Amino acid sequence: MSDTPHEVHESRILRTELLWAFGVGIFVAASLSMIVFTALTLNVNPPSNVERIDPKTLHLSGEFAEQNLGTTVFGDGTVIVRAIATQFMFVPQCFAVPANRRVTLRFASPDVIHGLLITGTNVNTMVVPGFVAQVHTEFTRTGDLLMPCHEFCGQGHSEMWATVQVLPVDLFKPGPDGRVSCAKR
Amino acid sequence: MQSDESSAADSKLEVADEVDETALASVMRTVPLGAAVLAGATVALLVLGYLLIYTLVFIPRGTVG
Amino acid sequence: MRNAERLCLAHFWVAFGAFLFACVLGAWQMWVRSPLGAKIGTPGDYFMSVTAHGVSMAYVLTTFFIMGFGYFVAVTALNRPLPGWIWAWGAFWMGILGVVLALISIGSGHASVLFTFYPPLTANVWFYIGLVLVVAASWVWCALMLVAMHAWKVDNPGRPVPLAMFATVANAVMWLWTTVGVAAELLFQVIPASLGLVQTIDVGMSRTLFSWTLHAIVYFWLIPAYIAFYTLAPRAAGGRLYSDTMGRLTFILFLIYSLPVGMHHLLMDPEHGNGTKFIQVLLTAFVAAPTLLTIFTITASMEIAGRLRGGRGVFGWIATLPWKRPMVLAIGLALVMLGFGGFGGIINMAYGMNAMVHNTSWVTAHFHLIFGGSVVIMYFAIAYEIWPRLTGRDHASLAPLRLQLWLWFTGMMVMTLPWHWLGLQGQWRRVSNFNYADPIIAAWGPWVVVSFVGGIILLTSAILFVWNLVTLHRSEVRAIAKPLYALAVHPPRRVPAALNGFGLWNVLVLVLMLLAYGFPIAQFVIEPSPAAIVHRVR
Repeated sequence: MSDTPHEVHESRILRTELLWAFGVGIFVAASLSMIVFTALTLNVNPPSNVERIDPKTLHLSGEFAEQNLGTTVFGDGTVIVRAIATQFMFVPQCFAVPANRRVTLRFASPDVIHGLLITGTNVNTMVVPGFVAQVHTEFTRTGDLLMPCHEFCGQGHSEMWATVQVLPVDLFKPGPDGRVSCAKR
Repeated sequence: MQSDESSAADSKLEVADEVDETALASVMRTVPLGAAVLAGATVALLVLGYLLIYTLVFIPRGTVG
Repeated sequence: MRNAERLCLAHFWVAFGAFLFACVLGAWQMWVRSPLGAKIGTPGDYFMSVTAHGVSMAYVLTTFFIMGFGYFVAVTALNRPLPGWIWAWGAFWMGILGVVLALISIGSGHASVLFTFYPPLTANVWFYIGLVLVVAASWVWCALMLVAMHAWKVDNPGRPVPLAMFATVANAVMWLWTTVGVAAELLFQVIPASLGLVQTIDVGMSRTLFSWTLHAIVYFWLIPAYIAFYTLAPRAAGGRLYSDTMGRLTFILFLIYSLPVGMHHLLMDPEHGNGTKFIQVLLTAFVAAPTLLTIFTITASMEIAGRLRGGRGVFGWIATLPWKRPMVLAIGLALVMLGFGGFGGIINMAYGMNAMVHNTSWVTAHFHLIFGGSVVIMYFAIAYEIWPRLTGRDHASLAPLRLQLWLWFTGMMVMTLPWHWLGLQGQWRRVSNFNYADPIIAAWGPWVVVSFVGGIILLTSAILFVWNLVTLHRSEVRAIAKPLYALAVHPPRRVPAALNGFGLWNVLVLVLMLLAYGFPIAQFVIEPSPAAIVHRVR
């Protein structure tokens, strides 16, 4: 039995919808492919390192004890910055990084959730008590950058920020212990 | 509404509208051309904007991982 | 309809009252954080205001509006009295109690934790109890929606559930799934911490549980706007819905894909790795589908109306649409804002690119534009459309309604577009005052003032909105009963069971949630995160 005109018409409508869905599906698939491609080839990922740390004791010893905070250059040349995010300051409030060199930034919180970004870069991470937040990046331009706390952490949240000094190669001079401090301005 | 008056929407499941079926059949020969062009152009612009921001703003700010 | 009218109006007035209050707070907040108000207000005042603003807009305006509209749809689309209206009223009063408790605790200064209340920051327990009561009230609403639809199906075997009700129940089912996350977080973690029963809290778990709710809740808010797109706007424009089937499919897709995507709010979080983040980004791409389908179906529906009115050529139908009608104007403005807001959204969800915008003003811009803009403008349009049915009076003139909608659109664009720009410059969120002496921040000043002007326009629009509804109650013009819901080009006589109920889809939701959230949550049950100390907010 042949379709009534109604059903024929409705199937045409559904076919146009399918065609449209196919068309936008191509766009969606293309965007996703680009995401996957850059993740694999350019290493563009959101912070991915999952590492636990006890917020109650992190300041006492180990990696985030006060004497280890700030920028350290290791024997093999790796540059690691460690900072604590706490109510309502970053410790240290200023750290130096070299331009055009891979830097690893590691943050921890002993109290509440904080977050940070570095202006003009893609450095952005939450700092969740219980976990180390780690971001790898390369700073491409020299200068002083702002690193505010960007997640509400209490009444003093608006005053919580640090400075990041991106130093050119000739000014980035580690001391004998591998430590680099902010240049005095 | 007055106390026991029901709205016309209450009275039948599908309340007839003023659309003339012949006129409808006639416009349905063209529809959805306009929608496809308008919605298609909009989505294309969105995708273009996405690609531009990705390549011109995001990537130059440095890779992170 | 009598009791249902009062029930609906009660819910709507609570919703819109909270809305107006929140708009006043919002305008004050914008002033205080701009260069013009740099010396006004303390951080304590500011964060109390932001908490009240967020709770009012995200929990009170929305939940009460959606409940009221749902009751309206259940009665008018199904053409039968509401089952269990005693329960409905009970739920209403429970919700009111919840709102009062929450607002009082916010006002006392002991609950400035913002509407997201991320632990370990912990507020006074009455704040959380207030929120729990509002959610519990909404659960009663969900049950009544399910009962109403079921009863109708029993009396109308084999017939398609009217689309407006089908969508409303899809929303109710989705809401039940959605609230599991925040309910678990509140009941098992936050309230015990707030009561002092525990001194530490697993933040990895609480962040993850909240993210379960945080994305799906926006679709809870959005679906009523889409119900208006599919079932009210085509009739208002004088046309037909292009496809009833696509409407059903859209709401089903929202039910399935709204939930297993919450982790795209945690892309910058350290407690989850790439794998789960990427899975949820993939699923987020799928939840874009129902919106992309909707813009085509609804544009086609408007095209039918425009061509029936004489529009010719590829675009001629746009000009011939009856833009003088508020519902038609609203949908046009909503779709423009949806375009911009959706653009922000696809940037947010783009995995690594989220790093460019996370917790900047870009995010604030995005959700004000897409929710405050495209969704809330449809709430206005729905109110204008159904108020005559609820009050028996009609608008004396539509001009103030159109003015209000235009003001809302203009204010929203002026407020949010600069915020997108500022976000890319690095301006961060949830700040009571900026140090405009800093050169980087000083450059932002003028744009902050521009968006403050947008906020003032919005406040004006909000006042006019409430005024329009108040004057309608006293209008001399009697409402003439006229049909409300749109017909489809081909109204279906039968639909497959899968498009007439949710049994199958609930199974799919469960499967997807296990896939997306199974491991992320189970990992913290098996091995809790290192516990953080509870921080009571004063």
